[in-house]
Amino acid sequence: MRETVEVLNQGKVVNFQSIIATLNQFWSDRNCLIAQPYDIEKGAGTKNPHTFLRALGPEPWSIAYVEPCRRPGDGRYGENPNRFQYYYQYQVLIKPSPDNIQDIYLDSLRALGIRPEEHDVRFVEDNWEDAAVGAWGTGWEVWLDGMEITQFTYFQQCGGIDCRPVSIEITYGLERLTMYLQQKSAITEIQWTDDVTYGDVHLQGEIEQCTYNFEASNPELLFTLFGLYEQEAEQLIARGLVLPSLDYVLKCSHSFNLLDARGVISVTERTRYIGRIRSMARQVAQLYVQQREKLGFPLLRSQPSLQSHLELVS
Amino acid sequence: MSSFLLEVGTEELPASFVSSAIQQWQSIIPNTLAEQFLNTEKIDIYGTPRRLAVLIQGLPTQQADRVEEVKGPPAATAFKDDKPTKAAEGFAKKQGVELDALEVRPTEKGDFIFVRKTIPGRSTAEILTQLIPQWISKLEGKRLMRWGDGDIRFSRPIRWLVSLLDDAVLPIEIVNGSETVKSDRISQAHRVLHPEPVSISHATDYVKSLESAFVLVSPEQRQTKITEQIQTAGNQQNGFAEIYPDLLAEVVDLVEFPNAVVGNFDAEFLKLPAEVITTVMVTQQRYFPIFKNAEYRELLPYFITISNGDPAKSNIIARGNERVIRARLADGQYFYKVDSTKPLESYLPQLEKVTFQEDLGSVREKVTRIQKIAEQISEQLQLNSETSNNIQRAALLCKADLVTQMVGEFPELQGVMGQKYAAASGETEAVATAIFEHYLPRGAGDKLPETVTGQVVGISDRLDTLIGIFGLGMLPTGSSDPFALRRAANAIVNITWAAELTINLQQLIEKNVANFAAKFPKTNSTELLSQLQDFFIQRIRTLLQEERGIDYDLVNAVLGENDPEYTERALQDLLDVRNRADFLQRIRKNGQLDKIYETVNRSTRLAAQGDLDKQELEPTSVVDSKLFQKSSEQAFYDAIVQLVPQTKASQAQRNYQQLVDALSNIAPTVSTFFDGPESVLVMDENLEIRRNRLNLLGLLRNHARVLADFGPIVKS
Repeated sequence: MRETVEVLNQGKVVNFQSIIATLNQFWSDRNCLIAQPYDIEKGAGTKNPHTFLRALGPEPWSIAYVEPCRRPGDGRYGENPNRFQYYYQYQVLIKPSPDNIQDIYLDSLRALGIRPEEHDVRFVEDNWEDAAVGAWGTGWEVWLDGMEITQFTYFQQCGGIDCRPVSIEITYGLERLTMYLQQKSAITEIQWTDDVTYGDVHLQGEIEQCTYNFEASNPELLFTLFGLYEQEAEQLIARGLVLPSLDYVLKCSHSFNLLDARGVISVTERTRYIGRIRSMARQVAQLYVQQREKLGFPLLRSQPSLQSHLELVS
Repeated sequence: MSSFLLEVGTEELPASFVSSAIQQWQSIIPNTLAEQFLNTEKIDIYGTPRRLAVLIQGLPTQQADRVEEVKGPPAATAFKDDKPTKAAEGFAKKQGVELDALEVRPTEKGDFIFVRKTIPGRSTAEILTQLIPQWISKLEGKRLMRWGDGDIRFSRPIRWLVSLLDDAVLPIEIVNGSETVKSDRISQAHRVLHPEPVSISHATDYVKSLESAFVLVSPEQRQTKITEQIQTAGNQQNGFAEIYPDLLAEVVDLVEFPNAVVGNFDAEFLKLPAEVITTVMVTQQRYFPIFKNAEYRELLPYFITISNGDPAKSNIIARGNERVIRARLADGQYFYKVDSTKPLESYLPQLEKVTFQEDLGSVREKVTRIQKIAEQISEQLQLNSETSNNIQRAALLCKADLVTQMVGEFPELQGVMGQKYAAASGETEAVATAIFEHYLPRGAGDKLPETVTGQVVGISDRLDTLIGIFGLGMLPTGSSDPFALRRAANAIVNITWAAELTINLQQLIEKNVANFAAKFPKTNSTELLSQLQDFFIQRIRTLLQEERGIDYDLVNAVLGENDPEYTERALQDLLDVRNRADFLQRIRKNGQLDKIYETVNRSTRLAAQGDLDKQELEPTSVVDSKLFQKSSEQAFYDAIVQLVPQTKASQAQRNYQQLVDALSNIAPTVSTFFDGPESVLVMDENLEIRRNRLNLLGLLRNHARVLADFGPIVKS
């Protein structure tokens, strides 16, 4: 760890990919699985099954991964310096939440070259709720000299089910963090590597995706797709196939977000669509817990002290 | 005497929880100690984002011994022939005393046996060990959480405990699943300024020990320090820092070692509306803005942040914050630019997608209803066509800013941005101002709309909400008023009063209840109408009593007691009901009420036994002078005849002084009817005579009713 800090302090610009590499190394050193992004569009790393499902049930779980996120309505054609409809989160989920998680997190900042003693680091209350998937938690946004760089959440419920034990979710806003470290004032200016910027990689795509989201998408087709995805999710839920069901719920959710960005969801329809997604998400969450239980919660083998929770849950 | 310290160390608590927990402990701790007969000299409660603490001084080392008297069975059952029975033996055994310790004493229910027991005082340490878990678990909060694999619920995870009785650790533990937190003398200090833990040698050293480790445990001390620092920082920039009380209260509980850091931003951003800049500073960043002068209108390009970091690193911290505010203001600038590229009116179609309330539809539909009500009010006020047109225009545009990017980002700027964008779109000043003003007052103590355009749109908007939400049966109950309907109704009344608007609320409610019922055919219009009337009457009652200081009986006199006539009158003419209440209060003070009280109140109460129509003022057709037996009756009759033109003039001109003078003039005449040689017995056996007399009284009551119902008035 010391090494990383020193490398970063030798006047070298910390580029986007080395930040990701540093975080991977850091969390890998702390016994997290380093996973890869999930291959279905989603609005946040929380919806990746590594978090959404694994936060449920008694089995321990420690994981870290980068998640690309799509929020069609947030697009600004790349014109807003701080807001893209496609961006990256660095997501960590540890269950049960360790006692010293704040200290570990502060060490992760040190690994990135940020010395907390030189800054004003604050944990400011910010609770999280995603009604569409029946999830909520308590926590903070972490401020570094007034900039929100991380979201901390102790998961209390997911898919309408109480989380026991409680997971801690840490979500770094990679673009924000990099802009801070590189002293850039626009996402597009981020150095992805020493020679290539974030703008080089993503700006044209960002503009096109915004054009698609706001102008070129075919709402009729999207409505049809929503219906088809929903049918598929339902028949998969009926067969008890957890992951395939979740995939189609996520597809429904993204289709809904596209329709919403297009401005074609009417007032009354909106609540109803969210209700449809939530009901499926809850069923998937329940299926997952049942499935793990049938399998005998296999991951409990690594943490026998958690056996007692098995009884609580069943 | 001993001192005791408890510190509950946590991960960062929400600022609002710190202050609420301190408040809760201020009652829980003294109360539970008193229940255990432990007196104290001083209880100090402290809190920071990472700890809650209490220091109790002047504690006895143990409870005093107490004598307790326990009542047993009746003496008759306890002793037979002076010998103790099984009942007495059982009682003695249960109480752990010998039989000869039993005493017989008389009570109201006969003789009983008693035992006096000395209960040795328990040690303070033992009692504290029992109480502490309660103190922690009794704290309530908005969103408590679980953590790790345990079931304890608290605002944030508990990580350490300090529990010192004088200089010794009092062992306490909190078990949460597989982790156990045990008390010690070791506290955690400031996260970065003092990463090493602090050892506290004696309970009373607490404040000092932590201060030396860069933690100011007293919120009052932090608040004083922050206030001074902000003022100094403002002065150093030759300006005036504005200290918003809510922001100050929050910031106090966001830091352990406050240090004001001043940063600046590009003066170019000052072209943005000041409200946008202060909202970014206050709501998003918890900064304090600095203004050019004490009017707090024109900003300087500086901000103050209360840092929890190392004061020696203020420069780094300032630079970091400067980059954040630059990005935020750049966002604001971007939103402002994009929002201004098209006229405000062009946002209207997007309002169709914003829900006002699920059953009541979109905000766009609400806007149409607001326009309709505004048109009715314009007619009532007989406004000229220019003003009416402005009102219609402002009503149409009043919600358009909700779908602009700026308001999307900063909801608290609703109305403020509408005004700016309207002006930029070439709307008239009256329209632009009204868009801002229609939200006024935004809370207690806020200013009221000054222009008639703003007043009318504001009233229309709120009335639409009231009728719609009441129509759906979602009436406010107790403390639950999610649509802030009480505040809305208060605003309608207050605006009308302040601006002296001659609106007829009764008519507005009737018309719009009918419109609501046309859309929702299942509506019971009669019930809805009366619910709304009652609600407004209740609001008027509260406002008259609490804000205008009118005595409750006088409020009842002008609003009537469930009297539909007075309800309608009040709602038809809100100004008149206020004026009548004010007037009654005035004549109570100057003694004029006393002069007419006796006769009018007595007549009013007696007349209730008759059946005279309350609208009748003319004696000619309801009183027959042939039935008079005493001269006082004719005199009463003549007095009423004299009163008629005065009452009618008074009624027409809403000049109640004239009526009170006239009532005062005839008061001596009326008294002869009740008392003295010429007095009569109203309830005569002859029913015709009785009715005739009751009608005379009824007439006087009716004349007085033009001002108020004298029935509820109590003698001054």
